[in-house]
Amino acid sequence: MQKQAWVGFNGEKWQNSIDVRDFIQNNVHPYVGDSAFLAGPTEKSKRLWQKCLTLLAEEVKKGGVLDVATKTVSTIDAFGPGYIEREDEIIVGLQTDAPLKRSLIVNGGIRMAEQAAEAYGYKVDEAISEIYHKHVTTHNEAVFRAYTEEMRTVRNLGILTGLPDAYGRGRIIGDYRRVALYGVQRLIDEKNADLEARSAVMSEANIRLREEIAKQIESLQALVRLGEAYGFDLTRPAQNAREAVQWLYLAYLASIREQNGAAMSFGRTATFLDIYIERDLANGTLTEEAAQELIDQLMIKLRLARHLRTPDYNELFAGDPLWVTEVLGGMGDDGRTLVSKNTFRYLQALYNLGPAPEPNLTVLWSEALPEGFKSFCAQVSLDTSSIQYENDDLMRPIYGDDYGIACCVSAMRLGKDMQFFGARANLAKALLLAINGGRDEIKGRLVVPNIPELPAGPLDYEAVRANYSKVMAWLANVYVSTLNLIHYMHDRYAYESIQMALHDSDVHRYLACGVAGLSVAADSLSAIRYAKVTPVRNEQGLAVAFETEGEFPNFGNDDDRADEMAVALTHEFSNLLKQTPAYRDAEHTLSVLTITSNVMYGKKTGATPDGRPSGAPFAPGANPMHGRDKSGALAAMRSISKISYDDCRDGISYTFNILPATLGKTREQRRENLVSLLDGYASLHGHHINVTVLDRSVLEAAMREPEKYPQLTIRVSGYAVHFIRLTREQQQEVLQRTFYQAL
Amino acid sequence: MIGYVHSIEPFGTVDGPGIRMVVFLSGCQLGCAFCHNPDTWREKAGAKMTVDEILARFERNRPFYRKGGITVSGGEPLLQAPFVRALFTACRERGIDTALDTAGHAPLEALAAVLPVTNRVLFGLKAVHPLRHQRLTQRDNQLILANLHQAAASRAALVIRWVVIPGENDSADELDRLAELLHSLNRPVVVELLPYHTMALVKWKAMGMTYKLAHVPEATKEMVDAVRAALAAKQITCL
Repeated sequence: MQKQAWVGFNGEKWQNSIDVRDFIQNNVHPYVGDSAFLAGPTEKSKRLWQKCLTLLAEEVKKGGVLDVATKTVSTIDAFGPGYIEREDEIIVGLQTDAPLKRSLIVNGGIRMAEQAAEAYGYKVDEAISEIYHKHVTTHNEAVFRAYTEEMRTVRNLGILTGLPDAYGRGRIIGDYRRVALYGVQRLIDEKNADLEARSAVMSEANIRLREEIAKQIESLQALVRLGEAYGFDLTRPAQNAREAVQWLYLAYLASIREQNGAAMSFGRTATFLDIYIERDLANGTLTEEAAQELIDQLMIKLRLARHLRTPDYNELFAGDPLWVTEVLGGMGDDGRTLVSKNTFRYLQALYNLGPAPEPNLTVLWSEALPEGFKSFCAQVSLDTSSIQYENDDLMRPIYGDDYGIACCVSAMRLGKDMQFFGARANLAKALLLAINGGRDEIKGRLVVPNIPELPAGPLDYEAVRANYSKVMAWLANVYVSTLNLIHYMHDRYAYESIQMALHDSDVHRYLACGVAGLSVAADSLSAIRYAKVTPVRNEQGLAVAFETEGEFPNFGNDDDRADEMAVALTHEFSNLLKQTPAYRDAEHTLSVLTITSNVMYGKKTGATPDGRPSGAPFAPGANPMHGRDKSGALAAMRSISKISYDDCRDGISYTFNILPATLGKTREQRRENLVSLLDGYASLHGHHINVTVLDRSVLEAAMREPEKYPQLTIRVSGYAVHFIRLTREQQQEVLQRTFYQAL
Repeated sequence: MIGYVHSIEPFGTVDGPGIRMVVFLSGCQLGCAFCHNPDTWREKAGAKMTVDEILARFERNRPFYRKGGITVSGGEPLLQAPFVRALFTACRERGIDTALDTAGHAPLEALAAVLPVTNRVLFGLKAVHPLRHQRLTQRDNQLILANLHQAAASRAALVIRWVVIPGENDSADELDRLAELLHSLNRPVVVELLPYHTMALVKWKAMGMTYKLAHVPEATKEMVDAVRAALAAKQITCL
């Protein structure tokens, strides 16, 4: 069976051991041409997407959730087959038995699942509630049992926010390609061998690993049953392109049936699938139209993936994102490009089906990418604002040429690395703790011990900075300790067995920490240092406002005085995190990324010395604060690119908005200038850039008449959203952002 | 050598190909009624900068300018021809593409000094009929036309920029004259049509000056297309 599936494929190493990269390297068809070969949508795809659009509109009308499967706990094979419109579906498989019907995933926490269902007018089946409340320990319950008082406090005050203690941690990328290439039986055989090989020393670590591998094997067996429900034999390798797409998608589907992680990436699949497509095109069993149809239909399925979330969660991560992140392009270690024709087809789906935020298409940008591909990407950005860019030249030397992106900006070698998602610490609030003798600026509660009170009068930079370092050292320790606890419990009570089954048994782990409010903290330090800032203190002695005399430079203007503040903060905090050992010997990393939680973080943070009022939103990710980057786009890019990727290995997110006219007069000029911008940012070692090319007036119109803009997509922070699915507050925040225009 | 610089736009995308650093030099002796930068007219105003200072600004952002370069605009950059020549000479040495955005109202020697180190000239013509020109710019256009011929005779790429001002320079007679002028040049040139807009009005008011074209409407897309068609009929290509 394997022999038949692999006819025409080159290379041997990948046949003898699980090695998808070796398969790709031996069989890739690099494509350096332009987009002229691409095909439009087929009638089937058009009809199918129309039906989905109707369902999506109904979903919005119903307040965001179309239906919930309240009587079944979602597991890999919990549901029989479900279809959107069977005769039009080339690629099949739904999360439940009907499209957009959300599943009930309770390992993360039964209370969360109940609250989420109730928020949309549904009720979790009583038997399920009873079993999980009385007889099962969920992740959420376990974490809160073990939390210390201090951990509860930093969480409640918003010093740490978005921690994965009540929902799936996500950010794990199964190597779904393995299912297509090898078939599930081969994967089970390999895992059995791994289990056998770990029979000697029964240390706690080894016992845990053995239990995990056993769970992985069970989940692979469940995946086979999922395939059977739709009439496929997943035990064997895929034999053609259609099967390869189908096998791969069902493997992904299994993972989102088992887990409701915040970010459930898809991986790096386009050029892998291209190898199957090229083989079928060559032997005459596939046409370009049919190849595009396969991809369009896969994209339709990925666009429908969603989970049931609580309103609190939606406030943090708006617009129903799942970060079905797929990386496209990039270069190989040997200098050949990993762009294939199928890379183009993934992007083409944005034309065939219209713009969409999911899957989260992420172009791995290299200055060495073929010009035809660069130009097509720029055109797609101009036309759809649906893709983001990350610097392959920066990441490839570290992760090799077969890495994916979890969530927005977190790079990992596929099937070899996983990460413990750590949300983020609020650096702006930490600064206020430093100014207020370790007390919370809103509630007055003493949080950080041994922080000296500052003398009355204007703030002394050295004194504030010294306090800030103390607060950060304390925070780094509490932060890593909290994450250790969370991930211990997550491994124990909400283990991602199918995703980890699609990894090597011995994986490298990252502890992915993060910061929010970087530009607020940097500008505040700059204000204290270069202007005269006097706190206005209330009767408790808490700084409730700041009076500033004189000018000071802001982060984002290519002014080293302010930019160095941000660089030094990330460097210091990154090193402090490493002082506390991480669970399972994970490697500490740091991201500068907020998603849409910059609004929530701002809400929980008092007035800051940079002049930001209490409760006002932060800038997203590593962005300069709204309107303060007065020196234009290039200066802002230079400033952000100064933050070192060595300090922030989990990614540095920059959200960039530009008016179409600012990029030039004609379509060709705009395309070429956007390529130049991306090349320039990459050569400065900028890590990530989210590009939205749009007139502000379009957003204003969409706020007035949302029903006319169902597919209007914008990039926010590491992902894209349908603009109309943002809350009013978040829409306002997007409008406040700097849209670069010519002077 | 010192130049008087009104301002620098590090991210210029409309004054020559690619992303360009646009240096606006101070000083202009025309008085165009529709000028969108009247604040650049005063000579020897603005920041004093050396060639090296400007190049340092350029080099800082150089990765973005690979397909672009530097454009010197104004004001009328030719009023500071020795400085422009020095700047462009230094650019040449570093492989930086140079563009001169001029209205041509400067001594012939000024343009002659700059042309050998200029990759491209963006030549902003206002009107061809002498009286119309006089009315729109307060100046005669003989010198300008001579400079246009001089630019056309050079090896620099040449683009004519024509702001379509409804009722002022879009009549059949004026466009006939423009076509005739362009055909008299010793090589074919393309025209970049720019629709007249009233965004400068605010600046004029803020500077306490009277904006004489207040009665003129903005040029619509249809008006610009009509000019394009009229010129195309005379074998003149418009961008």
